[in-house]
Amino acid sequence: MLMRIGTRMMVGVGLVTALSIGVTAVLIVRTHQADLIAGLIRSADQLSETVKKSTYYDMLENRRDSLHRVIETIGRQEGIEKVRIFNKDGQIMFSSDKTEIRRSLDKRAEACYGCHAVDRPLEKLPIPARVRIFRGPEGTRVLGIINPIQNEQSCWSAACHAHSRQQTVLGVLDVTVSLAAVDRQIAAGRWQILGLAALAIAATSLLVWWLNRRLVLGPVEALAAGTRRVAEGDLSVSIPLTATHELGDLARAFNEMTRRLAETQRQLTQADKLASVGRLAAGVAHEINNPLTGVLTYSSLLLRRAEEGSELRQDLEVIIRETKRCRDIVKGLLDFARATPPKSQPTDLNEVARRTVAVVMNQLALNRVAVALDLSPDLPLVSADPNQMQQVLVNLLVNAADAIGEAGGTITVSTRAVRVAPWGHTPIRKATCPTGCDLLDPSVKIGGLPAIRVSRSWDGQTATLHLDPVYGRFNHVASQPSPDGQITLFACPRCQQALTLPGGRCPRCEAPTFGVRAPGWGPVEFCSRTGCHWARWEAIERQGPHPCVEVTVADTGVGIPPEDLPRIFEPFFTTKETRGAGLGLAVTWGIVEGHGGTIDVASDVGKGSRFTLRLPVKPAEAPESRALDERAHPLQPPGEDHGRVVGRAGD
Amino acid sequence: MAESWDVLVIDDEPVVRSAVQRVLAEEGLRVASAVDGASGLAHPAVATCRLALLDLILPDCSGLEVLRALRAARPGLPVVVITGYPTHESTQRAFEVGAVDYLPKPFEASELLAVVRRALPDRDGLPKERRS
Repeated sequence: MLMRIGTRMMVGVGLVTALSIGVTAVLIVRTHQADLIAGLIRSADQLSETVKKSTYYDMLENRRDSLHRVIETIGRQEGIEKVRIFNKDGQIMFSSDKTEIRRSLDKRAEACYGCHAVDRPLEKLPIPARVRIFRGPEGTRVLGIINPIQNEQSCWSAACHAHSRQQTVLGVLDVTVSLAAVDRQIAAGRWQILGLAALAIAATSLLVWWLNRRLVLGPVEALAAGTRRVAEGDLSVSIPLTATHELGDLARAFNEMTRRLAETQRQLTQADKLASVGRLAAGVAHEINNPLTGVLTYSSLLLRRAEEGSELRQDLEVIIRETKRCRDIVKGLLDFARATPPKSQPTDLNEVARRTVAVVMNQLALNRVAVALDLSPDLPLVSADPNQMQQVLVNLLVNAADAIGEAGGTITVSTRAVRVAPWGHTPIRKATCPTGCDLLDPSVKIGGLPAIRVSRSWDGQTATLHLDPVYGRFNHVASQPSPDGQITLFACPRCQQALTLPGGRCPRCEAPTFGVRAPGWGPVEFCSRTGCHWARWEAIERQGPHPCVEVTVADTGVGIPPEDLPRIFEPFFTTKETRGAGLGLAVTWGIVEGHGGTIDVASDVGKGSRFTLRLPVKPAEAPESRALDERAHPLQPPGEDHGRVVGRAGD
Repeated sequence: MAESWDVLVIDDEPVVRSAVQRVLAEEGLRVASAVDGASGLAHPAVATCRLALLDLILPDCSGLEVLRALRAARPGLPVVVITGYPTHESTQRAFEVGAVDYLPKPFEASELLAVVRRALPDRDGLPKERRS
């Protein structure tokens, strides 16, 4: 049976409230009742004592008329039912109700029962035993109290000598009072309390219903709607964070989960794309190159026979040109799929630039593109594969020419020697915890490089944090953000070993520091306060800025829209509609990465783009080239985050 | 059987064989062809031709094995490898085994001719008087 949580809670809370308030109400009603009755008993007892004392002399002197009068007068008072005296045989001697005088009562009657319940009648009774409550002839309750009239010396020594000396109890004074008023009071009280109880139950249930609706139902419905959308495959869902309690945390966790899912899915798709590129390239290259050979050779044979300037010749030239384009596309695929490790040698990038420009000059001149060379005369040699570097420059030049298009424009190729500070540039290629666990997480990449996974805790919660692997850059990815300024405790996510550095203090904010180890390159120290961007990598800083050769290719073309910038190094990303397979820049990225260098792009739509590539002058001493073997295969995509590329473009 | 050949083409792809044949025939070269390694090595042209063009990927065996066998049978015979899937390693190994040049597919007539001219032994060369 479907029953909403709110309804269940309402029913549950209603029942519990009803039970507790009900029990309380019953107890209160009973106490109230007992108090009223007790008060009444006290006044009835006093009355009965008063009657006994005021009739004492009448009885002693046997003044029956006077006795009758007194009893009658008292019996007429409001609330008093009857006042009567009967002798020990149960015969009513005096009564405010004259009709019953001289009548005898059975000893089992309620007025006698108090004393005559056992064989030998009791002579003294406590108050509760002298009291009885019964229903009167009109149906209302009546309280009766008996008061035994003891024998005493004046009774048997009196002139009338009516009683013998041996008797203990001469008779009983019985006063009965009506309980009607008290019962009315009790009933009114009972209804009052029951009404209050019902009101309390209703109010509590309503409050629960309202709280549930406000605090639970809204957020839960948002979560349910979000989950349904995720189930339908929409991973762009984000639940508005309206709740500040646990459901808000749940919504935050949900948002984080979908974000990570989307990210993972994107990476999987990317990896899948890449794997199929490899297979496709090999297969396509082999299969397509054979028929292309046929088309190319036969059409060039025909071309020889075609007359100069004839229409046939022009058509054949189109066939040959387009077939060669097919060949270039296949070659691009192969270059991408193969991505061989560079055969490095001391290389003059000026020379490579000159040669490359010469090679592509013809094609460029055709498009009214001018190429300006601005080469630094004292450029240090770099360790690089000249052929791969040429391929990189060809790709960049062809891209630039395409960006310029029919309009014509200029490409400037320039080289210069620069010194790049480690801060903000040097990647941490290896990271371990003090016990040696590998902290690099290839499944999460920041700026194309595997991030450093640590776990951190604060306020009793623990969450994963992926540190940006570039020293001096802080594009960390948090599974659960910690509040700004919060000092958190860092630990190895595998062995839980604390990463805190004993005695380490952040020089900026005095917070404790933590560190990861870069094997061979000492510890990298970070501030543990959220939002404090302090870090120190002693071994790298001691080396100082490392010399690089910088090559820029700038064009006056159409530029790249900002939304495309992060993706331009991804394989199959192309803006050229019908041209190319979208692999040129992916290959370029792979080659530069394979050389331990970096490539950045800056662009102004309508003004042009500038690609900047930097290669370390002495890769053997730079930490990044040490890890050449472990470096990601150049086939690996640049990853999602070219925010780095864009962010650094202005450096 | 006075038939003699200048060039032997071993390639499983018919259009490649016929294209090579057509281009070289225009230059007055007599071209023999074989579809796989076994028939290529068994071809009488192995004994007499002046140049072999060999696809590195063959249906029955590796082109490198055929190259080795050719080198063993005719140590002086220049062999040019042609391949639709040129990788650094495969061409490197082909050169190590003794190939004199390599020609990546797809090629056009002029590229084929340039390679063949370079590879053909000088003493006979291309009969230049026949070219015009």
